[in-house]
Amino acid sequence: MISEEELQSKVGYRFPGGEYLLEPYKNWLTNDVVGAKNGDNGLAHPMFCYYAALNSMGLSLEEFFAIFDATSDDGVMFGEAEIELKRAMTPGSTYSVSGQVTAVQRKKSKKLGTFDLVDFELSIHEADQLVGISRNSFIFPRELIDASE
Amino acid sequence: MPQNRTSVGFEFPPYVVGTVDAEKMKTMAALLQDPNPIHWDVDAVNSLGLGSRPINQGPNNMAYVANALIAWSGGISNFRGLKVRFLDNVYAGDHLTVIGSVTDVDHVDDGDLATCEVQLVRGTVDSGDIVMAGQAVVLL
Repeated sequence: MISEEELQSKVGYRFPGGEYLLEPYKNWLTNDVVGAKNGDNGLAHPMFCYYAALNSMGLSLEEFFAIFDATSDDGVMFGEAEIELKRAMTPGSTYSVSGQVTAVQRKKSKKLGTFDLVDFELSIHEADQLVGISRNSFIFPRELIDASE
Repeated sequence: MPQNRTSVGFEFPPYVVGTVDAEKMKTMAALLQDPNPIHWDVDAVNSLGLGSRPINQGPNNMAYVANALIAWSGGISNFRGLKVRFLDNVYAGDHLTVIGSVTDVDHVDDGDLATCEVQLVRGTVDSGDIVMAGQAVVLL
């Protein structure tokens, strides 16, 4: 398990970032998956604030997990998530994504045992205009607590 | 309960999401390039001690709440923000409903900005489990 000192050193880590083309077909499929209607004034589902951010932060989820000495097989889960939109996103537009790890914390619970909480924030711009912000936390399970203890 | 939707305490109509479909999770896993097998591989879910059904992607659960807010506020352009805590896993086969109420209203140039408490409920609204909860902001 990653040490607490090493965990703390990850605060401020800046994601490589990147660009995100909001493909119209992805908007259509997303609406289909989540039960939203297609064709709302040509605007994208607001969850693309999250999808664009996570897709184009410059790392795959597996690479992101690896920074914290974990893999997807470890059962990494969402803690909290926030999307804030300054204006609606549009299918066919290209956005730039940038951001960083903002906080980390090692915690214990009866249900999860020892786990790490990792917060990060990603900003989405179109040209030089801020369009949205995606703030998230991931839970990294570390060690189950022995139920007999 | 207030009848005016721009009044604090107003409860917006329950939004029925319906039953969560495991096949939709596979589509979303591909769309998100999400390698986590808990969304499609029952054996993986089992081995992690998380149950015996595929677990829905957290963003899907957020999207259901966003859908409810869009329906209530009148369109995507009225959606401003959503912050949620994931309180429990949502599994394939779960039946979900979104409920919420207005907690604050701020009068701005282009309308009323309503802050709302929102909850995603599994089972019946009255006695089900709250699987996700948070705050949202929409323009009314």
